[in-house]
Amino acid sequence: MQGGSREPSKRRNPRGIEGVISLTSLCEGERGVVAYAVGGFGLVRRLADMGLTPGVEVKLLRKGSFHGPVQIEVRGVGLALGYGVASKVFVRPLKAKPDG
Amino acid sequence: MVKPRLRIALAGNANVGKSVIFNQLTGLNQVVGNWPGKTVERAEGTLFFKGYTIRIIDLPGIYSLSAFSMEEIVSRDYVAVEKPDIIINVVDASALERNLYFTLQLLELEAPIIIDLNQVDFAAKKGVRIDVEKLSEALGVPVVPTVAITGSGMNELLSTVVAVASGERELKPLKARYGKEIEKRVQAIEKLVSAKLLQLCTVYPARWIAIKLLERDTDVAGKLKNYENGKEVLDYAEKLAIELEKIHGEPSPVVIASERYGLANKIAKEVTAIEAPPRISLEQKLDAITTHKILGYPILTGVVVSMFALIFIGGNFLSAGLEFLFENLSLYVESVLSSFLPRIVVDLINNGILAGIVGGITIALPYIVPFYIILALLEDSGYLPRAAFLMDNLMHKIGLHGKAFIPLMLGYGCSVPACIGCRIMETERERFLAGFVVVLIPCAARTVVILGLVGRFIGLHAALALYAFDLVLVFVLGRIAFKVLPGEPVGLIMEMPPYRKPLAKNIFVKTWSRTKGFIYIAFPIIIAGSVAIEALALSGFMSYIVEAANPLIGGWLGLPPETGIPLIFGILRKELTLILLSELIPLESLTAIQMIVFSLVTMIYIPCIATIAACAREFGWRKALAIAVIDVALALFLGGLAYRLLSLVMAT
Ligand SMILES: Nc1nc2c(ncn2[C@@H]2O[C@H](COP(=O)(O)OP(=O)(O)OP(=O)(O)O)[C@@H](O)[C@H]2O)c(=O)[nH]1
Repeated sequence: MQGGSREPSKRRNPRGIEGVISLTSLCEGERGVVAYAVGGFGLVRRLADMGLTPGVEVKLLRKGSFHGPVQIEVRGVGLALGYGVASKVFVRPLKAKPDG
Repeated sequence: MVKPRLRIALAGNANVGKSVIFNQLTGLNQVVGNWPGKTVERAEGTLFFKGYTIRIIDLPGIYSLSAFSMEEIVSRDYVAVEKPDIIINVVDASALERNLYFTLQLLELEAPIIIDLNQVDFAAKKGVRIDVEKLSEALGVPVVPTVAITGSGMNELLSTVVAVASGERELKPLKARYGKEIEKRVQAIEKLVSAKLLQLCTVYPARWIAIKLLERDTDVAGKLKNYENGKEVLDYAEKLAIELEKIHGEPSPVVIASERYGLANKIAKEVTAIEAPPRISLEQKLDAITTHKILGYPILTGVVVSMFALIFIGGNFLSAGLEFLFENLSLYVESVLSSFLPRIVVDLINNGILAGIVGGITIALPYIVPFYIILALLEDSGYLPRAAFLMDNLMHKIGLHGKAFIPLMLGYGCSVPACIGCRIMETERERFLAGFVVVLIPCAARTVVILGLVGRFIGLHAALALYAFDLVLVFVLGRIAFKVLPGEPVGLIMEMPPYRKPLAKNIFVKTWSRTKGFIYIAFPIIIAGSVAIEALALSGFMSYIVEAANPLIGGWLGLPPETGIPLIFGILRKELTLILLSELIPLESLTAIQMIVFSLVTMIYIPCIATIAACAREFGWRKALAIAVIDVALALFLGGLAYRLLSLVMAT
C-alpha cells in the first residue's frame, strides 16, 4: 500500500506541527508542554476541565505495561489517563532539566 | 428574637475533604476515604450554632460546572435554583490552582461563597504555604484555613458562615474578567440574553448563561429551546463561538477553560509561597513501586491474597473462640425454659431465636469485622486508585476502564454500596456494565460462606481457588455483556490522590458504623429466618419443600436435600445460608464436593434482596430482575457442572 506510511505519521501529529509528539511518546520522567488535544468534543473539554489546556506543562510520571494507562502530573496534581486518552494529547517535549 | 434558619452547601473538587468536614460539623457518618468520587448522593444534616439552625448539604465532588456528568448538572442547578444561603467551597490547599478553577465557576454563577482552605497540614508537608489574607483579597470572599481531620478551624468556619449570613461580613466576590476576545463576545451575548430571556435570567445570571452558550453547553442550550427567542439567541451565540474558535484554533470550551486556568494560575501564584523544594518522599516511592508496570501486579495480587488470608486466620480464630463461649448456652437456656414453658415454645426460642443470634455471632461476625477493618485500611490509604490504574487495561477488555475496579473492590465488602458506587463511571451504559459484574463479586456475607465452609473444612487453597474462579467468571461474563451491549468504551481520566497514612480513628469509626449497620439489618433477618425454619420443621411443612426441591438440589447439584431450605432463605441474606445450614445439619457431614458446590452456588446465584433493590434503583427494575435471573440460571448451571466434574476428578 502506498499511502501506508503517511497514515501513522499523520496520526502521530494530526495538526502537523513541528516538534509535537503524543503524550504517550514522552519518556518516564520527561516533561512537555501541551500543544493540543484531539478527539470528541466531550473528551477535549473534559481534559481541559482537568487542567490539560494548551500551554500547560506536564510531567509524565510513568507508563503502564502493554499500552497501559499513563500517570502524569499537571498543575500540581496527579492524573491517570487511559492509553487511548493519552494518545490524543499532543505535547512539545521540554529539554531535560534538573528534576524537582 | 428568633434566629433564622440557614441552608448551606459544601461544594468542591473530589477528595478535598468535604465529607470529613460534613461529619465534623454534623456528627454524622458520611463515607470518607481516599479516592475520588465517594460521595455520589448528596447527604444532609442539621447543626446548631450560636442559636442558628443550620441545614447543611454535602454535594458530590466535581471538577467543573460544565454539563459533563449528571453530578455536575445537579450541583450547578442546586446552586442556581435552590439558592442556598451560603456555599462553603472546600479547596485543597495542596492543589490550589486546580481547585480555584472550580471556584471561578462558582463565582460565575454569582453564588454566595466562602472558602474553606482545607488540608493546610498536607500542603505544609509538601512545602506549600498559602497567604490566607491575600487569597481572601484576591477572591473578595472570606477564606478560613482548616485541617478537617483534626477538626481545626471548624469553629472559625461556622463563625464566618454566621457572620456572612447576618450581614456582619460582606462578600465582594471577584468579578472575573477573561481575555479581550472572549470578554467582548460574552458581553454581547449577555446583552441579548438579558433582553430576550427575562425569565431564565431570574434563575441564572445573564453573564453565566452567556458564558455557557459561548462554551456550547448542551444543557443550557436545551433550556433555551423552550423560549420564543431562544433560537435567535442560540444562533447568535453559535456565530460568536465559531468566531472565537477561528481566532484560537481550539474548541470554544477549551479556549474558555484555558482562560479560567490562566486566572486560577495567576491567583495561585500570587498567594503561594513554596518554602522547601519538595523532595522525594516515602509516599512518592510507594506510589512508584505500587503502580510499577511489572512489580505493581505481584503487589496487587499479594494485597488481595493476604487480605483474604488475614480475614481467614482472624475469622477462624474468633469463630472458634466464640463457639466455645456459646457452646453450653443453648443447653442451659433449654433447661431453664422447659421448666415453665411448653415444649414447642422452647424449641422456637432455643432453635429459632437463640440459634439465629448465636449463628450470627459465631459464624458471620468473626469474618465480617476483620473484613471491614481491612477494607477501611484499603480505602483510606489511597491504594484503590492505584489498583484502578493497574487494572485499566484489563477492564478495557470488558468494556470498562480502570475506575470500575474501585466499585469491584468495594464489592468484596458489600454489593449495595458497590452497586451505588458504580456511579463513578461516566456513562449510563458503563454504570450498568459495572453493576452487572460488581454483584458477582463475593461480598463479605458470601465470604462468610466460602471461608467458613470451604476454607475451614477443606483449606484456604480451595477457598482462594473459588475466588480465582469467580474473577475468571466475572471477566468472561463482562466480556459477553460488553459484546451484547453496544457502545463506545470511554477512556480513563482519574485523579490520583496522594497516599495517606490511614487514621486509626477513621478506621475505627468506619468499621464500627458498618458493623452496627450489619447487626441492625442482618440480625433481625437471621433471627426471623431461623424462627421461620424452626416453624417449618415443627409444622411438618419442611419435608414438602425439601421433597419438591430435591430433584434440583439432590439430583442436579448433588447436595443433601435439606440444603434447599437455606438456599431459598439465602435470598434474604447470603450468610443466612450457612447459618441455617448449620442449624439443619452438622457442617462436617458434607463431603468436600458438596461444600464446594454449595459455596459456588451461594456465591453466584442471586444478589440478595438489598442488592436487587439497590440495582433496581440504579438501573430500573427490568435490568435488576434480568441480573437476578441470569445469576440464578448461571449458578445452577455451574453448580451442576462442578458437581459432575469434581466427582469425575475425585474418582480418578
Ligand atoms: N491531611 C489531611 N487529610 C485530609 C484533610 N481533610 C480530609 N483529608 C483526607 O482526604 C481524604 C478525602 O476526604 P473526604 O472527606 O472523603 O473527601 P470528599 O471531598 O468528601 O471526596 P468525594 O466524596 O470523593 O468528593 C480522606 O482520606 C481524608 O482523611 C485534612 O485537612 N488534612
